[in-house]
Amino acid sequence: MRRLALPLLLVAAEAVAGLSIEYGERPEELARCDRAAYRGKRAEANACYLELFQTSEELWMRAEAARALGDYRAANDAFKAAVEQRPDDAALRARWGRLYLDTHQANEAVQLFLESLERDAKHVPAKLGLATVAAGRFEDRARGYVGEVLEADPDNVEALLLLARMHLEEGALDRARERLDKALEVVEAKGLPPLEVYALHASLDLLNGQPESPWIERALAYNPTYGEIYETQAHFYVITRRYREAIELLRKAVELKPDLYSAHAELGVNLLRENKVDEAQRHLAFAYRGDPYSPQIVNTLRLIDSFDNFVVATHEPDEGSPYDPGVILRLHEREAEVLEPYVLALVRDSIARFSERYAFTLKEPVVVELYPDHDDFAVRTSGLPGIGLLGVTFGHLVAMDSPSGRAEGEFHWGTTLWHEMAHVFTLEATAHLVPRWFSEGVSVYEEWTTGPLPGRHLPIAFLEAMRDDRLLPIAELDRGFIRPTYAAQVVVSYMQAGLVCEYIASRWGQEGLRAMLELFAEGAETPAAISGALGIGAEAFDEAFADYLRQELGGVVANLEAWRGAQRDAHVRAEAREWARALEAAERAIALFPDYVDEGSAYLIKAKAYEETGDTARAAQTLAEYRSRGGYDPTALKALAKWLHESGDTEAAIGVLEDLLLVAPLRLDVHAELGDRLLEAGRAEQALHEYRMFAALDPHDKANVHYRLARAHRALGDTEEARKQLLYALEIAPHYRDAQQMLLEIVR
Amino acid sequence: MRRARPGWFWLAATWLAAASASADPYYLIVAGLGGEPRFEQRFSEQAEKLAEAARRTTGKPDQVIVLQGAEATGDNLRAAFAKLAGTLRSTDSLIVFLIGHGSFDGEEYKLNLPGPDITGKALGELLASVPAGAQLVMNATSASGAVLESWKANGRTVVTATRSGAERTATRFAEHWIAALSSGEADTDKNGLISAQEAFDYASRSVADSYEAEGILATEHPQIAGDNAARLTVARLGTRPAETPELTRLSARMAEIEGELEALRLRRDELDSETYLNELQALLLQLANVQREIDEAQAARAAPE
Repeated sequence: MRRLALPLLLVAAEAVAGLSIEYGERPEELARCDRAAYRGKRAEANACYLELFQTSEELWMRAEAARALGDYRAANDAFKAAVEQRPDDAALRARWGRLYLDTHQANEAVQLFLESLERDAKHVPAKLGLATVAAGRFEDRARGYVGEVLEADPDNVEALLLLARMHLEEGALDRARERLDKALEVVEAKGLPPLEVYALHASLDLLNGQPESPWIERALAYNPTYGEIYETQAHFYVITRRYREAIELLRKAVELKPDLYSAHAELGVNLLRENKVDEAQRHLAFAYRGDPYSPQIVNTLRLIDSFDNFVVATHEPDEGSPYDPGVILRLHEREAEVLEPYVLALVRDSIARFSERYAFTLKEPVVVELYPDHDDFAVRTSGLPGIGLLGVTFGHLVAMDSPSGRAEGEFHWGTTLWHEMAHVFTLEATAHLVPRWFSEGVSVYEEWTTGPLPGRHLPIAFLEAMRDDRLLPIAELDRGFIRPTYAAQVVVSYMQAGLVCEYIASRWGQEGLRAMLELFAEGAETPAAISGALGIGAEAFDEAFADYLRQELGGVVANLEAWRGAQRDAHVRAEAREWARALEAAERAIALFPDYVDEGSAYLIKAKAYEETGDTARAAQTLAEYRSRGGYDPTALKALAKWLHESGDTEAAIGVLEDLLLVAPLRLDVHAELGDRLLEAGRAEQALHEYRMFAALDPHDKANVHYRLARAHRALGDTEEARKQLLYALEIAPHYRDAQQMLLEIVR
Repeated sequence: MRRARPGWFWLAATWLAAASASADPYYLIVAGLGGEPRFEQRFSEQAEKLAEAARRTTGKPDQVIVLQGAEATGDNLRAAFAKLAGTLRSTDSLIVFLIGHGSFDGEEYKLNLPGPDITGKALGELLASVPAGAQLVMNATSASGAVLESWKANGRTVVTATRSGAERTATRFAEHWIAALSSGEADTDKNGLISAQEAFDYASRSVADSYEAEGILATEHPQIAGDNAARLTVARLGTRPAETPELTRLSARMAEIEGELEALRLRRDELDSETYLNELQALLLQLANVQREIDEAQAARAAPE
């Protein structure tokens, strides 16, 4: 069995994890210790567990005592020995699985729960273990396990609490209250510890806008050191992106229970989201002492260490802009010089645009971090449900993949940054009260309408979901992000939210979106915001939106299979180099779905077919159409720029190359070519900038860099600097004819 | 940007001017077994491009031997080496390009050929049998790094596509090396000649960039060993220069100026920046003028009478 060689875990005996509450029947020897622990009598409880560990003849009871003491190694040894004695005991394996959950080894825990169910298919603790793991990952199957348990035992407290927690996470507050009321009734009737019921009730109050809940007082009367109640409340702030409020609660949690390591870890992670790096590091380092095997703690500490390799550039507010609150960029030292000007320009542009469109002025500097290593970025998003893989916004702080963090052309970093900047506004304008769907919807809508990449980019999964009637009602759209029920539901929900915002803007104008944002800032739920801002009920809105979708996309959805066939045909013909047939199939595909410019777009095949048959003018026209609809394949744009230049349209070529930098800003050849085109167009200052970026990327041909810089300086009238650059070029390459020629001209 | 400190570039240009006139290199180009049509076609095209660059460089097609397709057998390879061994002298230079698939079983490298493969050891012995004073062997095959150490020898530069025999995936190095042989960007000293070092620098960087652009881990890490890579011309970008008394005189004058440039460079730390740049400019202008005279003389000879 794999677990026999367990490498792990283990924390020193005095370490204390969060209080673990048991609702199942326990022998009196254990229950006696548990009661002391639930009441916050730590010394008494520890003495009790220690005695039990030392004296009990039952291996499993010793294991439970060791687990409660935080001695996970001893607990593991005891469980292993117990399982060897009683290999068919389903309960033992389920309890052992709980130990693995304590030590962040969910996969091993799942294995044990499954082994338990193999021995007893109805074993409730094993089902609840699986439900706990799934719920922690925001997976919908948690609901299935809990449903099975409640069907067999409607009074099961743990199942009721799990379900209540899931309802709270989805914002289904009424349903959560029903479950909590039921759970409270059961714990009171059976004399079970009520602390977790109180904590979730307090969380319900918090989500209803009442963080100072009376349930907190009741919990602390029961257990004066129950810091977990604030930690539980903080969780709901975190998943609704209200990090500042979460931080305040987590501070209270650790104040009440200074060795509540999980709260220290959460506090550290959330302080980092507020760019409070030093304080975050202190809390995480403390948490690490108590829980050294938590991947989140270790990874976040490593991430903070890696900040030494980043350059922080602080840009004071731009005096020319009434909206600019200042911008702080954290970029990797390897690429900071090149990325900084483009990132800064886009951030400032987005701030100016969104400040006006949403009538909101930012009050703090915006922090933007770009990570060349995707794993570092991933650490930033850990523990958050349904977060897109490209970027994340924590209020004023945006973190995202750097263009170098992914294969070229895999994502459009300019659009990602634009999307995240829209979140900064929707979050800050509502003090983070905005529901997830609306924040995502505005970001997607702004990508499509004001972002650097034009056009809607609807994945096929969305059209399929629309065809199969799998879109969610507006009042429940958040569920699609937080607990998806099918593989593509998160991305489908993004698109649906974007289209909802597009529909609102088209029917009620930008004012409609602004009005909703204001209502969300006041704490309104989605139905109230819809009716308050738009004068229409949520159900009526759903019907009207469905009509809008049919009108906008009904034709494409109806032709989806025909489009697939044409796409397939075009690719097969192109592969076989049958260009006439490839062209015909590509045109058919484009006619059926003209906005499709993403992977495998028929525009690319059509352009290739024209190119292969020598008609570069039509190839360029095709790519121009592709680009106008938001196509951004780097190779295609490079070819378009070349053909435009060859046809004498330098300005158009410049536009294409500038677009290309929003996909591939670290490509040497693009900077050099853009510089050349700008110089040809008489825009020497901009050309000089591009050549400097080219130089910063450390190109292979150094002499050529100096020569290009010399050309730009000369065009600007700075012959002395041009002379120096030529000398630098010729110092490297004395036979460089072009440089020689220019030097002769300059000094003559 | 860090500016490169020039040094041997100037001397190299002088040396090359002399060397290229007296000792045009001999080339042996071998395209091994492809195994699949796409590889057969790729290796064949690459061999043709290498041969074209070689002929352009030497101006003597009979100094370029190409073995590809069914001709690239072990016997033919041995025969080609025997011919070279009988022809070349210590003042000559030999350039060998190997493309195709290689394999390494942990002990022995083999170049895949039609018929029996040839081992790295046997190839090393064949290289040693040719008395050329300067040798370059560029092995672009998979697992080629396995021979890097064993093929090292006095006067020989060894280039491999991979770091070791463990890198067994089909390589991209050859296509980037070939691109270097006709690239002005690879010619970093702008003397119109691509040295082995320049070709290697360009190709190895291009290989790394290509993997990075695709977001995948590189499965090849090119290596170079030997100390005369910068002095060994592998390709010429333009046409071969004519040889006349006037051009010889101008070349000698150019070599003198290059010597003065090198002397100035050695004194660089003793001079303030402005003085250095002014003296540099004076010499570079002289060089530019001589270069122009050479170019005009070449053009005049090339123009129809």
